[in-house]
Amino acid sequence: MKPYIAVLYDSLIESVRSRVLWILLAGWSLILLALFPLALSEGETYRIGTGDVTNAGAMMDQLAQASAGRGTRSQRAVFAKLDEDFQSTLKDRERSKRKIAIGRLVATLNQLLEKEDLYDKQAWPTADRRDELKEILETPKKSPDQLQKLNRRLLDLAFPGSIRPATGQATWLTYAGMKFMDPLPFTMRQIRPFIEANLFPFIMWLGLGQIAMMVAIVITAPMIPDMFQTGSLHLLLSKPLSRSLLFLSKYIGGCIFVAMNVAFLIAGLYFYAGMQLGIWNNGILWCIPLFIFAFMVFYSVSAFVGLIWKNPIICVVITALFWGVCFTIGVVRNIAEGFLKGPPEIQSILPIGDTPVTANRQGRILFWNADAKAWQVAFGDVNGQRVLGPFWDAKQGNLYFGRTRFVPMGLGGSSSPRLEFARFPEWATNPSETTATPAEQKRKPWDDIRLDSAPELPLDTTDVIPWDDSLLSITADAAYLFDQESSSKNEQQKISVFGFDMKLPQATESHRKVTDADWDFRKPIAACRVPNTSELLVVSKGALTLFEFDGKKFVKRNALDLDFPAETVANIAICGRTAIICPEDSVPILVNIDSMSDSSEFESLGKVTIKRTAIAEDGRVALLSKSGKLWIVQPSANANTTGTSEPSEKNLNLTTPNLSGQGFASTMAFDKLGKLWVAHHIKQIDVWDNALTQSTLTFRPAPTTPEFLYDYLINPFYLVNPKPSAIQETIQYILKNPDNKVTAIDRADLDMPTIQRDPWQPIWTNAIFIAVMLSASCWLLYRQDL
Amino acid sequence: MAAPHASSLPSNSSLAIDVDHLSKSYREGFIFPRIHAALKEVSLQVTRGEVFGLLGPNGAGKTTLIKVLLGILHPTKGAAQVLTLPAGSKAARRRIGYLPENLVFPRHHTARSALYFYGRLSEMSNSQIAARENELFELVSLKGRENEAVRRYSKGMRQRLGLAQAMLHDPDLLILDEPTDGLDPMGRSQIREVLEKLKNRGKTVFLNSHILQEVELICDRVAIMALGKLRGMGTIDGLIRNHTQENAAALVLEVISEPSNIEQLRMLPEQAIIEPIIFESLVEQTSESPPLAPSAEHNLSRISIPSIDQAGADRLVDTLRANNISILRIERARPSLEQVFMNIVGAAK
Repeated sequence: MKPYIAVLYDSLIESVRSRVLWILLAGWSLILLALFPLALSEGETYRIGTGDVTNAGAMMDQLAQASAGRGTRSQRAVFAKLDEDFQSTLKDRERSKRKIAIGRLVATLNQLLEKEDLYDKQAWPTADRRDELKEILETPKKSPDQLQKLNRRLLDLAFPGSIRPATGQATWLTYAGMKFMDPLPFTMRQIRPFIEANLFPFIMWLGLGQIAMMVAIVITAPMIPDMFQTGSLHLLLSKPLSRSLLFLSKYIGGCIFVAMNVAFLIAGLYFYAGMQLGIWNNGILWCIPLFIFAFMVFYSVSAFVGLIWKNPIICVVITALFWGVCFTIGVVRNIAEGFLKGPPEIQSILPIGDTPVTANRQGRILFWNADAKAWQVAFGDVNGQRVLGPFWDAKQGNLYFGRTRFVPMGLGGSSSPRLEFARFPEWATNPSETTATPAEQKRKPWDDIRLDSAPELPLDTTDVIPWDDSLLSITADAAYLFDQESSSKNEQQKISVFGFDMKLPQATESHRKVTDADWDFRKPIAACRVPNTSELLVVSKGALTLFEFDGKKFVKRNALDLDFPAETVANIAICGRTAIICPEDSVPILVNIDSMSDSSEFESLGKVTIKRTAIAEDGRVALLSKSGKLWIVQPSANANTTGTSEPSEKNLNLTTPNLSGQGFASTMAFDKLGKLWVAHHIKQIDVWDNALTQSTLTFRPAPTTPEFLYDYLINPFYLVNPKPSAIQETIQYILKNPDNKVTAIDRADLDMPTIQRDPWQPIWTNAIFIAVMLSASCWLLYRQDL
Repeated sequence: MAAPHASSLPSNSSLAIDVDHLSKSYREGFIFPRIHAALKEVSLQVTRGEVFGLLGPNGAGKTTLIKVLLGILHPTKGAAQVLTLPAGSKAARRRIGYLPENLVFPRHHTARSALYFYGRLSEMSNSQIAARENELFELVSLKGRENEAVRRYSKGMRQRLGLAQAMLHDPDLLILDEPTDGLDPMGRSQIREVLEKLKNRGKTVFLNSHILQEVELICDRVAIMALGKLRGMGTIDGLIRNHTQENAAALVLEVISEPSNIEQLRMLPEQAIIEPIIFESLVEQTSESPPLAPSAEHNLSRISIPSIDQAGADRLVDTLRANNISILRIERARPSLEQVFMNIVGAAK
């Protein structure tokens, strides 16, 4: 046996014979045993959870109204079936305005779900036109499950906006088979990416990366200093083996000790995830070498310190300090990056004449201040919101935008978006024909424009589409046209607070529902108007549906099932009479709108995630991928547009324009003249002529002080720092990639920051650090008199 | 048994250790560094097959010298060769068996696993170790206890195990740092026997000890160090001859006569001490029997003269006999290594 193998083998034997190893293994076993009964179980339920009642106040108001014989027929029908006690409480509430606990409301509603006689043809006239309900209604003897489903759907219809429409599918957290807490309103397929992309990495980061790592550092700290006990070291050094190999063998011995622990714990977690959560993710097993690697970084510091001071306590203290420094630099950099690289990124562009109005990821509306070469915030420094729009109403000089709370991964409940609009002064939009005085003209739009009103958008509005002179709000249950007249009527409602006139936020009255029961979708949903027609294409539930607006309502004309899962987020664009449907991380699908009979794949584009589309008035389409690459699609000159129902990419001409921001674009828009406005590198905008050969205008703000500090101080410092915690990113990358995919739950997820980093980079930088530390240790040991 | 490494040595192949003007100094203190010289121009040679003892008080530089020989310390100046190879080189270390002072074995070992571990470090195969282990355990009297955990061993047992591992790979040179430290008299004599055997086999032993009697019994040659310098080197007899006045040794006489009678002779040198010899009863005293008075009935006296030459001693004996004083015992102390050591070390201070 080679001497250094003997040292390694001895370290192994030492570990196995030490009590510490067995105590640790027993501890890990206890943790795993305690965790094992925790599981997820999937099932179908239509029961109402507390979180399903999104607006309890409104719902009780409506029920109380029904008690007085007002409200809709369906609401009165529901009231009639409530138990008497609750009915009297509701009547009492109407008089005394006493509050009713939401738990009681939910319990009462759940009782209703079991009633056999809730359905009433008069109260719910459209119910039997819905496929799933029709089937149940035609069943003479309904099972309890069917009854529950029917009644829940009826409640959803009776109280739109107050109850979250049931998906039917839910997942429970169970412990030893016992369900606890309300079910989570997601399927396992939806939860799995969340678990793999967020929960597992978090557990790995906290449990292993932090707690177990600290334990490992403390336990292995004495190993190198112990080597220096005079009696044992001198004997080792008298043997024919080099000091470097002796040290490295001891170092690797420490790593093997930790490896045994980590392998045991992670293998346990792997089997737990597989057996109890049904997630057999081999990435978990890959965490074993990664954690050992992360430990090697810290241990190389500990070992080096051990060589100098030969004291385990100093080893632990200095390793902890090193950790702290790495952590601080990483955190400072991530915070700075979070502030500087994510939120300020331009998310949408609205070209008004020669100036852009943009919305960024933070939910701020920005105007270009040419004098200061900077973006100027208008309408308040809001944070953490998502903007729908902005849109421009040239006739009235109105700027519209919807602001929605930004909900990562679509979790955390519904949001209440507002439609905000502001009237521009005439000089700002039409400077040539202005009658404004020069003094007025010197004022800036962001100084002068104030928000006019803020009516609420319909609940769960996912998209707002300009529709003639109005705006069409898209939700999964219906589409609504914005009714400006009723909105301005509502504007009259003001209250006076401390002498200031406050406008009351308005509910959905300002929006007119323009769909019927045919509009029955589920999130995620995407819609696109077919240019120059009154047709609207909707992608949801894995199908494409064509509606036509007849002046009053959207009427369903055609539908086509597309082969992708219902929960996959998709974007849509229309080029000529060809619809380009882009499901996340797949090859886009082409459908001929006229025939709507067949689909083909847009193979020249390949597998891609399209996060944004834009359509020019001349029919050109811009597609932007999540990674920032931009394509232009136009109807091909020799397109055979008639006579065939087969959609073919031969009819389309795909080009990858050579733009300066190509690969880093965040959004784009066509203006009225057909120029392409491309936002890239966070805050920059270039305007390209129709041929996309030269940029006619650029908007490039000068870097602010924090940006300058980030680029020239924080980031370079971070790059040379060993950053063991960055291995976390590698772990996250490995874990979330069972089949190389995390799916978005909402279209907003496609806008999540895509800060591109090489997940293997931390391995290289840390490997270099380890090599440097170990070489320094060997050199020190070689030079040292012992 | 064949040595694992055949020796094919050049010219001065008769030397096992050759230290030439070796100096080693340490820098002490971080803020106000101070140079401390642990070895000053030390030169010594140990021939093959010799048992060589290195003596010196604590801090004399003995262990420093051993560490330089093993390559654990890098010398500041001078050079050292071991078995004609540069001291500290891997090739040299292959042929050295080393027993460190205060040997500590890792806690997880049994005597056997420790022996295997150190054997493997000495590039021995498992079968080579297996062939040697029984013989060695027997040699160091650990037979039957080799499977016990070393952490339960007494210091003497650990020391013997240390000796076993030092001999395991049949090295040409054994460097033993305080080999008999912590051993009982039996253990010491066992180790002496082992060293005798090694010597008979032609092995060179370089040992370092505080216990001068041991060294006197085992070593062919010794060197005495003090304050980093070599103060004397040679055979024990040679050292004694060189470092003591041979004619002026102490003399002790026990005679049958009262001290006063002897004093009347007026023939003793000034430093002489005369005292009566008093026997004390070893019988246990009881309350009944009266306490025994010191028995002086034989009128015995002891005469101690710290330093007297041979002629003086002869004259004294003649005079005593002429006066009819019986001499019971006469002891002419031979100068010991200890005396030499004390002289040398005392002079160094």
